Amino acid sequence: VHGENALQPIHLFAYIARKMSVNGWTRERLTDLIHRILRDDLLAPQDDFSPQSNLIESGLDSLAVTQLMLAIEEATGVWTDESLLTPENLETAETLAASIYEYVARSRGRTSADPRG
Amino acid sequence: MSIRRSTRTLAHPTRLPLTGADAFLLAFDAETRRRNRANHLSQIVLRLRPGFAPDAFARVLDEVVEANPILRAPIRRRGVVGLAEYRLDLAPRAAGPVFEQHTSSAPPPGDWDAPAALPSLFSERLNELHPDGRAGLLRADAVRYADGRTDLALTWLHMLFDGWGSERFLEFLEECGSGARAPDAVPAADRPGAPPDVALPERSSERGTMAMEWQRWMNGLGALPVRSPAGPERGARQDLEIARTHLTRADSARVSQRASTLAGFLTPMIFYLGVAIRAHHAVMVKRGDVPASYVVPLPVNLRPKGSDGGIFRTRVSLLWFQVPSTCVDDLGALLAELKEQRRHAIRGGQIENGAAAMDFARYAPSRLYGTLARRPLGGELCSFFFAYTGEFCPGLTHFFGGAVEDGFGVPSVPASPGSGLVLALHAGRLGYTHVRQRDAWQPGELDVFREQLAADLLG
Repeated sequence: VHGENALQPIHLFAYIARKMSVNGWTRERLTDLIHRILRDDLLAPQDDFSPQSNLIESGLDSLAVTQLMLAIEEATGVWTDESLLTPENLETAETLAASIYEYVARSRGRTSADPRG
Repeated sequence: MSIRRSTRTLAHPTRLPLTGADAFLLAFDAETRRRNRANHLSQIVLRLRPGFAPDAFARVLDEVVEANPILRAPIRRRGVVGLAEYRLDLAPRAAGPVFEQHTSSAPPPGDWDAPAALPSLFSERLNELHPDGRAGLLRADAVRYADGRTDLALTWLHMLFDGWGSERFLEFLEECGSGARAPDAVPAADRPGAPPDVALPERSSERGTMAMEWQRWMNGLGALPVRSPAGPERGARQDLEIARTHLTRADSARVSQRASTLAGFLTPMIFYLGVAIRAHHAVMVKRGDVPASYVVPLPVNLRPKGSDGGIFRTRVSLLWFQVPSTCVDDLGALLAELKEQRRHAIRGGQIENGAAAMDFARYAPSRLYGTLARRPLGGELCSFFFAYTGEFCPGLTHFFGGAVEDGFGVPSVPASPGSGLVLALHAGRLGYTHVRQRDAWQPGELDVFREQLAADLLG
């Protein structure tokens, strides 16, 4: 994002919120996207698979996680840094979405996630 | 980008088609028989503490084989270039598998802290030549030592199981032996209408396009010359030996942490692949014969994730890596390159393209596929074989009464490239199995190989 460093904090906050909302990627929508990709395309989980289900226990492996990252990139234009893929962040679709959301926000010049996300 | 799943079901319960990967491996079995007077076999080995009950094992094995005819069904083609299939209806006429018990006069094995001595019988079994068309589980051998411990090896034609399937088969046997399940419970995915396998486009033209893309990718690997430890297209008799080495629990924990940090929590195989490349590179440096590049295929498990997959038949594709030898000296740079190549290949659909190419191998004459695979690399298949399989049989603590001290897979490795390295964890200890063509390695080279491997693993 060119020129964002020149923005004042309050403007920066508004800018990022606007960018996120323009793209439609609130934290909830990101959670929904990840959950949907995993459920419909990448995993063959039980019927009760939810955004709070444990991903490793549901079959997430090295290939599936890379395919997930590529699908997220395709949808959001953001490549998720592999350093984000920690056991804690990969626990559920919800925790993964939160970490990606925070990463996107940080990479756009902020140090914490949008609390309204 | 994503892998779609098939809705196709098996048309005929007495004829079970080979998967594309099965057919791919069958082609190398044909090549190994023709050139190296052996079969393309794999093994799984268990080292058991005293208590193993061979009679119970033999009884359950018989029952399981009786209930699962694929374990000894011959493979036949429909016509000259027709679909290759397991002929389950012909299984009752087939013999085996054989179970033999042996007593070893050798000293009982140590505690796995040093390179482990395995019964030479196991490598002899790996090098045997079986009649053409005989498929499935060939034999089981139990070697009992004076202290009551037993080494058990199951040997099969490689396309019957991949590494994942062979581990599940051991668990399946133990569950049958302990009464937790009936021995006639055929794994779900091999039943008609069972959970879907990986699928390819219905239109053959689309599959053909994918296969051609795969072949273009393979041909591109020939841009930089490759040389395996054994050299290209060896016509020598296959003479594989098996070396097994363990790390202590403390060192294993350190290595696992290092792999996770350097390569990623879910992708530690990239770290182990980088380490394996550098170990082979050290040997080639010692020889003064450093190739322009190293080419290694990484097996990719294609089963639906998170469901009960079938035990039998191989369901893998391959991701190919090629790194210039100039990129090998710095481990960090090497890992970054491998990560980028992996991401690029997955994004480019090469896993699916590989599956499509292997699907055509089901119909192609075996010799054609072997030639297509070796041609781009000037007669080499690759620099070496590699796999990291994670935790070995995590739920298997006992096997027919004997506590499982260790267990590991022994991959099938052709005489050329003459080197295959498989790493896995068991009970918190990292172990590696190196399968190699005996006369392609000099003793001094093996020292260099082991030292480089240990240095990179531990950092």
